[in-house]
Amino acid sequence: MTIINDFDYVRPTNLKEVFKLLNQNKSAMLLAGGTDLIGNLKEEVIKPKLLIDIKNIKGLNKIKYAKNELLIGALVTFDDLIHSQVILNKCPVVMEMAKTVASKAIRNRATMVGNICSAVPCMDSGAILMVYDARIVISDGKNEWDEPVKKWFKGPRKTILKKNQMVMGIKLPIPKGDHSGVYMKLGRYKGEDLAQATCAVVLSKKEGIKISFGSVAPTPVRALSIEKFLKNNELNEQTVNEIKKLVEKEISPIDDIRASKEYRMHMVKIMLERSLVIAKERLVNPAPAYGISHL
Amino acid sequence: MGNLKYVGKSVVRQDGLEKITGAAQYVDDLDFGQHLLYAAIVESPHANAEILKINIKKAQGLEGVVRVVTGDEFPYRFGLYMHDRYIFAQQRVRFVGEQVAAVIARTPEIAYQAAKLVEVKYKVLKPVLSVHDALGVHQDFEVEKNNMIHPDLSEYKHVPWFFPKDKTNIAHFRKIRKGNMEEAFKSADHVFEDEYSVPRYAHCAIENHVAVGLLDHSKRLTLWTASQSPHTQRHLFAEALSPLGLTHKDIRVITPYVGGGFGGKAGVSMEILAAALATTVPGSPVKVLWNRSQEFVNTYQRQGVNAKIKVGVKNNGEIVALEQLLYWDAGAYVEYGANVVNAAGLSATGPYRIPNVKIDSVCVYTNLPPGGPYRGFGYSEFLFGLESHFNEIAKKLNIDPVEFREINAIKEGDELSYGAKMNPNGLMEAIEKVKKEIEWGKKDKSSDPNIKIGKGFSLFWKAPAMPPNASSTCFLKFNEDASINLLISGMEIGQGYFTVMGQIAAEVLQIPPEKIRCVTPDTDRNPYEWQTVASHITWSCGNAVKRAAEDARDQILEVVHRALNKKIEDLYLEDEAVKSKTERDFNLPLKDFVINGIGLKDGTFRGGPIVGRGMYMPEFSSALSNPETGQGGKPNVHYTVGAAACIIKIDKETGKVQVPKMVLAVDAGKALNPDLVKGQITGGLLQGLATVLYEDMRFDKNGKLLNSNFTDYKIPTTLDVPDEIVPIIIENPQSDGPFGARGIGEHTMIPVAPMIGNAIEDALGIRMRHMPLTAEKICMTQLTRRD
Repeated sequence: MTIINDFDYVRPTNLKEVFKLLNQNKSAMLLAGGTDLIGNLKEEVIKPKLLIDIKNIKGLNKIKYAKNELLIGALVTFDDLIHSQVILNKCPVVMEMAKTVASKAIRNRATMVGNICSAVPCMDSGAILMVYDARIVISDGKNEWDEPVKKWFKGPRKTILKKNQMVMGIKLPIPKGDHSGVYMKLGRYKGEDLAQATCAVVLSKKEGIKISFGSVAPTPVRALSIEKFLKNNELNEQTVNEIKKLVEKEISPIDDIRASKEYRMHMVKIMLERSLVIAKERLVNPAPAYGISHL
Repeated sequence: MGNLKYVGKSVVRQDGLEKITGAAQYVDDLDFGQHLLYAAIVESPHANAEILKINIKKAQGLEGVVRVVTGDEFPYRFGLYMHDRYIFAQQRVRFVGEQVAAVIARTPEIAYQAAKLVEVKYKVLKPVLSVHDALGVHQDFEVEKNNMIHPDLSEYKHVPWFFPKDKTNIAHFRKIRKGNMEEAFKSADHVFEDEYSVPRYAHCAIENHVAVGLLDHSKRLTLWTASQSPHTQRHLFAEALSPLGLTHKDIRVITPYVGGGFGGKAGVSMEILAAALATTVPGSPVKVLWNRSQEFVNTYQRQGVNAKIKVGVKNNGEIVALEQLLYWDAGAYVEYGANVVNAAGLSATGPYRIPNVKIDSVCVYTNLPPGGPYRGFGYSEFLFGLESHFNEIAKKLNIDPVEFREINAIKEGDELSYGAKMNPNGLMEAIEKVKKEIEWGKKDKSSDPNIKIGKGFSLFWKAPAMPPNASSTCFLKFNEDASINLLISGMEIGQGYFTVMGQIAAEVLQIPPEKIRCVTPDTDRNPYEWQTVASHITWSCGNAVKRAAEDARDQILEVVHRALNKKIEDLYLEDEAVKSKTERDFNLPLKDFVINGIGLKDGTFRGGPIVGRGMYMPEFSSALSNPETGQGGKPNVHYTVGAAACIIKIDKETGKVQVPKMVLAVDAGKALNPDLVKGQITGGLLQGLATVLYEDMRFDKNGKLLNSNFTDYKIPTTLDVPDEIVPIIIENPQSDGPFGARGIGEHTMIPVAPMIGNAIEDALGIRMRHMPLTAEKICMTQLTRRD
C-alpha cells in the first residue's frame, strides 16, 4: 500500500532541535518505532506535514535502575525489554508482556512509549503500567515532569500529551521486597494478534496485590474493588465467585470484530482467576516460568 | 515399471536456490522502465446500486494524470464458464469494491489521489446479502425482475453443463437423481436430518494480484500477470477484447514465478483491468497492483454454503439413501464459481457407496464479492456437513464412527452418483493406517481438569474439476551438453511442479534432474496448458512431459540407428548415453550428438537438434448428461481419496484448541517426489486448520467486508502449527497417470474442518454445525449448553 500524502522527514540529533520543530509546526508528529505511525499514514488516519524521527537522539534507548525505580527510555523497544537483564531481575513480568506484543519483526522496532502514546485500547503496555503505578516522564523542552499513568489515558487513542510535548520515558517503581507478576493476553491464536482482553497482576509481600485489565474498556482499568476485597480475603472456591462478580463492575467490554462482550467478560474472569493463582505460586518455588503463554 | 532412478525419489526443488537467494522474479520485481504508468481503481462503496453519473473532470485535471477510464469505453462482459462479469461496472454495481472507473497516472500516489476525485452518483438499492433473501419466498425461486441481481441472466453465454434458471437468482442448478429416494427412505431403519453451514473464505496468498499490460504501437498486447492460468487468460483477454480487433496471436501473456495461488489466481479477475487499460495508452505499460484489502474483496472468495442433509440408514450402519441440498452463496459474479457448485454437486456423496442419491447444488447470486475457485473446489464445504453428520449418525446407531465409514466406504468399480464407475483406490488402506497411527479407540485424559482431549476422523475425496477436453502440452529441447529445457505452461506455485516435471523427463531420458530446467510460461513460446488448478497438473502435464520425453527418446534412438546402423530394439538410454543390450562397449554420450548430430566417416552428419513434443487430453471424459438426473456422462477423470485424523486438546473454560497430532493418508497413485507430497500434506492440513479455527470473514449489514486485512482475518503462523504431523503415502497406481501418479494437492485440506468438529464433539459432547469453530464459539456454546 502506498502512502499517498506528502510530508517532510527530519532526523535531528538533539532535543533542542526536536522541540524547536515541534513548536514551529503544528502538524508535526514524532516518529520512534513507527509501527503504528506508518500504518496510520498508509490508511490516511493521520496526515502530518512533518515527521520528526527521534531515533538519532542519544540516551533515549536506555533501561536504567536506581533507587527502586526503573526508567524505560522513549526509544526502548519491546525486544530490548525482552532481553534486558535488569528487567529480568527486577520485574520479569514486563518481559512476559513484551513477548506477547505483535511479532518478532514488530518488536524489533516498536517502543513501549510509542505504544502508550498511540493509546489504542488493545495495547499491551497499559495494564502492566497500571499495576506498577508507573509515571510518564514528559518534557516540553523547558521543563520535565512526571504524570501518573492513571491520569495519562483520556480515552481510545487519546492521552494528556500536548502537541509541543514529548514523552522522555516511563518510570516504574519496583515494590520493596519480593514481588511477582503475571500478564495474560487473550488473542485469537498463538501468532501475532491484538488483544481481545488482557489481565495484569502484581503481587508483593509488603504492598499487597494490584490488578489491571486492558482491552475491556476505553482505557486500561485498575480493579481497585477487587484489590480491596483481596486485602481481606483469600482466593478460594467461595471467594472466587465474589471476585468474578466484582469483575463485572470494573470493566465495560464491547462487541467488536475481535470478540463479543460476553466472551470478553467471561474470559477476563477466567484470566483473573488463573493469574491470581500463578502470581501466588510465583512468590514461592517452583512456579511457572516467566515468559510463557498462559492461555 | 522396473527400477526407477529419479521418480519416487525426494529430489531437491528445482526452484529452491532461486527462491531462497531472492533471485526468483515475480511480476512486481520486473523493471518496466521509466514510462511505466500506474492505475488506481475507483470502487463501488455500495453492494447494490445504479450508477447515475460519473464525473471525471476533477480527476482528469490533476497534474500527472494520463487518462481516466470508465465503463463507457469497455461495455463488454467476460468469464470462464459463464459470461457474467464486466470489465468495469455497467449502469449497476453488484458488490462493495466493484471496479467502476480507473485513473492512469505517472505515479501511484497521483493515481490514488485522482481516483478520489472521480465523482460517482449512485441510486442505492437494497442489497441481497444472503442465499435466503436471493432465493425469495416462492417454491420455484422466482423473484421480481427488480430483485434479480442479473436481470439479463437468460442472455448470458455459458458452458453446456450449466443450467441457469430464468427469472431467479440461480445461475446454475446441478441436479443428481439416482435410484428411488422414496422407496429407499421407506426401507431405512432410521432417517437422520440436519443442517450445516460454511461461510466464505479468502485465499490469502502471500503475493498480491498484479498485472502489467502494454499495447505496443504495432497493436501487440502483452500482459505480465501473477497467474495460475496464462493460456486461459490469453483466451479470455482475446474473447473480451475482440471488439477492439485483438486476436489470440496478438496477445501474449508472460507469467513469471507466482507467490501462491490456492485458486485465487486461476482464471481472470483483476487482470482484465490491466489488459483493458493498456489499450487506452498505447506505447506505455500500465501496472495494476492490488493492495491486501482489494485482494480480499475483488478477486475471488471461496463461496459459502448452507447444507441440508438427510440420510437413511439400516440398523447395521449401511447407508441406503442420501439427500444433500446445497445452496451456495456465489456472490455478484459466478463466471468461475458456478463450476465449483457443479463439481460439488457431482461428488456430494463423499467417498461412499450410496445406492439412492438426490443432490441439488444450487449456485445463487448475492451482492457479496464474486465467489470462485479455492483449493478444494467445493469439497471442503460439503464435506464439513457430511462427515459431521455421519459421526452423529454413528453415535445414534451406537456404531464406532470409523467402523461406520468402513461399512460404507466406496470401492473400485462401485457406481458413482452420476453412473460412472469408481477408479482403483486405497481408501480402506488409508483408513487402516490412519486408525493405527492415531491409536483410534484409545481414550486420552489430561491431568488438568480444564483440558479435554478428543479425537476426530474424516475421509475425503476429490476429482479434478475441469472441462472434459482440458489439456496439457510440453516441448522438450536439448542443449549442447545434453541438459534440457522443458517448455511447459503450468505454474510453479510452490507445490513443486517444476521439480516433478523434471523428474519425469529425467526418468525417461536417464538424465539427472539437476540437468533439467523448466521455463516459466510465455504464451508466445511455451505450448498450451489449460490451467494450474484442479490438482490435475502432475497427472495431466506429467503425461505430456512423459510423452515429450518419449518422443525425444525415440528421435535419439532413431538417429543412432540411422547413423550407426544399430537395431533400435537393442538400444537403451543410461547415464546420459545411448547403450546397447548386445554390444557391451557401445556407449554414445548424448552430449555428443543431441544438437549437432552424429558425424559419419564421409564428413556428413545425421540428426540434428532433438526437440520432443508431448500432449495429453483425456479423451474419455464427457460433461454431457441428463440435466434432470445428472446421469450419463463421465465428468470426472478420477478421484483421489484418503483418510485423516487428529488429536485435539480443548481448554473447556476458554474454548482454546491445541492440536498435538494430525495424521493424513492419501492415495497418490505414485508419489513422484515423496518430500513434496509430504509438504502438500503439511500445508493442506494447516490451511484447513485455519478455516476451521481462525479465519472468520465478517460483513456489515450493507455488505462491506469488515476484516479485509491480516489484523483481523487470521491465518496461522508457525506458532500455530500442530505439534506433530504424520503424512502417510499410499500408492495404488492410476493406470493413466505418469508412472501411476494422480493429484493430491487440494485434497490435503479437505478433511480438516469435519475432523476437528468431530474431535470437539468427542472431547466436549457438543456438535458445532456452523463454521468457523473459533475458541470464542466453542467457549460460548459450552457455556450455554443445556444438559
